[in-house]
Amino acid sequence: MADLQHMRNIGISAHIDSGKTTLTERILYYCNKIHEIHEVRGKDGVGATMDSMELERERGITIASAATNVTWKDTEINIIDTPGHVDFTIEVERSLRVLDGAVLVLCSVAGVQSQSITVDRQMKRYHVPRIAFVNKCDRTGANPYRVQKQLVEKLGLNAVLLQIPIGLEDKLEGVVDLITMKALYFDGGESMDQMREAEIPAELLAEAQAKREIMLDSVSMCSDELMEAMLEDTVTEDLLRTAIRKATIALELVPVLMGSAYKNKGIQALLNGVLSYLPNPGEVTNKALDLDNNEKEVILPSDENLPPVVLAFKLEDGQYGQLTYIRVYQGKIKKGDELYNTRSHKKFRVGRLIRMHAADMEDLNEAGCGEIAALFGIECASGDTFCDPKFNYSLSSMFVPTPVISLAIKPVDKKAADNMGKALNRFTKEDPTFRSFVDPESNQTIIQGMGELHLEVYVERMKREYKAEVEIGQPEVAYREAITQRADFNYTHKKQTGGSGQYARVAGYIEPLPDPVEGEEVKEYIFTDEIKGGSIPTEYIPSCDKGFQMAIKKGSQVGFPVLGIRCVVNDGAWHPVDSSDQAFQTAALNAFREAFEKAKPVILEPIMKVEVVAPTEFQGSLFASINQRRGIIISSTEDHAMCTVYADVPLSEMFGYSTSLRSLTQGKGEFTMEISKYGRVPMGVSEQLKKDYIEKRKKDQK
Amino acid sequence: MEIQELNDLSPLRVFDDSLGGGLGRGNLGVLVSRHGVGKTACLVHLATDKLLRSEHVIHVSFSGNVEHVINWYKEVFREVSNGRSLDDAASVYNNILSNRVVMNFSQENVTIDKVLSSLETLIKHGSFKADAILFDGYKLTVATEDDVKKIKQFALDMNLEVWFSVSPVRADVVYDKYGVPNTMMKYVNLIDVLIGLIYNEERDKVIMTIVKSPNSAFEKPMGVNLDPKTMLISK
Repeated sequence: MADLQHMRNIGISAHIDSGKTTLTERILYYCNKIHEIHEVRGKDGVGATMDSMELERERGITIASAATNVTWKDTEINIIDTPGHVDFTIEVERSLRVLDGAVLVLCSVAGVQSQSITVDRQMKRYHVPRIAFVNKCDRTGANPYRVQKQLVEKLGLNAVLLQIPIGLEDKLEGVVDLITMKALYFDGGESMDQMREAEIPAELLAEAQAKREIMLDSVSMCSDELMEAMLEDTVTEDLLRTAIRKATIALELVPVLMGSAYKNKGIQALLNGVLSYLPNPGEVTNKALDLDNNEKEVILPSDENLPPVVLAFKLEDGQYGQLTYIRVYQGKIKKGDELYNTRSHKKFRVGRLIRMHAADMEDLNEAGCGEIAALFGIECASGDTFCDPKFNYSLSSMFVPTPVISLAIKPVDKKAADNMGKALNRFTKEDPTFRSFVDPESNQTIIQGMGELHLEVYVERMKREYKAEVEIGQPEVAYREAITQRADFNYTHKKQTGGSGQYARVAGYIEPLPDPVEGEEVKEYIFTDEIKGGSIPTEYIPSCDKGFQMAIKKGSQVGFPVLGIRCVVNDGAWHPVDSSDQAFQTAALNAFREAFEKAKPVILEPIMKVEVVAPTEFQGSLFASINQRRGIIISSTEDHAMCTVYADVPLSEMFGYSTSLRSLTQGKGEFTMEISKYGRVPMGVSEQLKKDYIEKRKKDQK
Repeated sequence: MEIQELNDLSPLRVFDDSLGGGLGRGNLGVLVSRHGVGKTACLVHLATDKLLRSEHVIHVSFSGNVEHVINWYKEVFREVSNGRSLDDAASVYNNILSNRVVMNFSQENVTIDKVLSSLETLIKHGSFKADAILFDGYKLTVATEDDVKKIKQFALDMNLEVWFSVSPVRADVVYDKYGVPNTMMKYVNLIDVLIGLIYNEERDKVIMTIVKSPNSAFEKPMGVNLDPKTMLISK
């Protein structure tokens, strides 16, 4: 059984195209897991080992976070390769949940980009200690000092350089380690890629000493011991490393290392850094919620002798059948153990237990505390907690954003329809941000997700992995409806058709809830009972509430849910025989529809926070392209040759933006976006939407 | 309180009156003081007042972080709207946001030609009809006469107001009793309005004085000053 001291669970996350996958590949290579290196978009057509999905190889992006296990200097490192594209953020969030530490990869040219900011925010949310690795130091325009400054300014991190580069761009030779004050070159050994220590080149000595002073100053701010040692001039390497480690784990400091994964520079030093500064599973406090005790928080000590608590953080339907990636938080699990799934309330036995390497696997007899492993053939959803049947714990729920875009899909034939069902069933289990349902009005299958690319990838996967050929409709935005002013209602529901009748009268008003202050959650619905004197008996009050809730599921303008509304009942009437739960529900529903029309309803649409980066000469085209798309430019930053524009743009206008951006900027521009808020649709557009909705309903009814 | 009323009661009306009806389009105005007196807040308050009156403004900054500027706007708006309990403040704020663009130049020693051409791009290609441009932290005291003339021409061509907040770069400058550094004086003829800010301990206020304006040849107090607690212009 591995000792906790010698175990690390780390993730590698970054902005798209910062070279995470290449970096992971190099780590595998240096840890002797693979024997040769294949480039992500290599000419040999083999692709990087971590990108095991065929589709990933084709697009040069990494979709699923494959967990892989390597050994560096007697320490086991579990690496989760995380996707960089913003549409797949849920994957990043899920992997962060199970990590004890992370490497934040940054491009030395582009520096801190929007995705780095998103990832960093997620890391803060899950309290993940991190090391920054400034990659691509061999590229033209590389400047690790600027990246360090951005980490401080843009992310508010206490980023401290532990290395400085020897040469930059195409002259990058290695790095100077400011702790040992030695130069590190990466051309040793037979293969010319092993690490070699040497004296610091004379011309860099003064700079290295100056940077070391800065580093010592910053680290000593977090460590009294080091401060004392500095005053007495007894700073040792060990003392310094311990101080950095403590501060990193306490999230007070972020060590900055650098190199170039592509050129095999700085990787070994980074691995040493992972061992030295990132926590082992025993140093992290994990908490679970006790479902039997009102979700009270319980701390899970990393002790093997306690009953097991395990989190299923990822499902994968691979070539070997269903695979469930798990992390053991407490205790250990063995083959044949009985575990309890606290969500589905089902017990099951542990069958085959394995550990994954990028594409192949190794059978295990048991998985101990802190380990990441995978189970075969377990029926569950990702995010489920398994524990000893004695317990009823749930590891805190993960934050799941709501989908913003939907797409109608239609299988081409009967066989495709069967396969599509299977695929959808699988995907919705794997990815909580991906949803699917059948629209009862049009009978179409609708899939929902976080962006165009997100849905596109699933449609591709259906085709490739499940042989489900589907036709896709136009992507549709998830609109919302809202009201802008108060409106009264007074509705009587009466039916007398022989037998017992129906009678209910509800009166009151609906009003918009005030706009949320920034950072606050949007309140969807509030129900207030202001009945005095029993004009509606208490037993029927919940019926009114239910009726309103039914009504807000589908607004009458374009059939999307209503947001930010307060429904108040203050008067009504009932009949001792004819009033019923059903009668009041119907009355409330119709009362709402009546008032909704009078309350000046509007349509809301998702507004995306968009970041576009391109060389400065395209600034005018960027401004124009955002302006044409009903966007609002928030800010524009010029930094040397690059220009970054932040804007709020309606999602509906962003369809196909990647294509037009490419042609506007001769392929030199790129953009990322994420949902920011719901905003009002302007008059002209909303009239069109209403017209389309009416036509669609007519068509569906035929 | 409604926006209209808030605008009518705003201390900025006194500010405008003491300038004889505001700075006016095509003119350059300068707020000058030592570091840390509250120029940025003052500038943002000027901008917020314009936004509340449905004008469009471009805020030009030279820092590494746009977030800071945006936070200043949030903060100033909160002070202004809370102080007068503005109706439906959150949606007012969201509405005025679309009339503000922050343009940031993080690179050192960017030329004025570059800045002006980017501004022109934004106004023309971005169809952003700016009514005022606010330069926060532009190193006017080391700019050449030519640079200032170019900015003046730009203000005339685009028909908009330009405000600067200025602090001296060098440490050895001498300030007069209004808080105006001597390095500023050589530009006095090129600009239209110059306002000095200086902290007065006795009154615990930042005193604002018009050192130069088109309709007065003498220094005169503004009738408003800066509250050091809220960092807002107040009566």
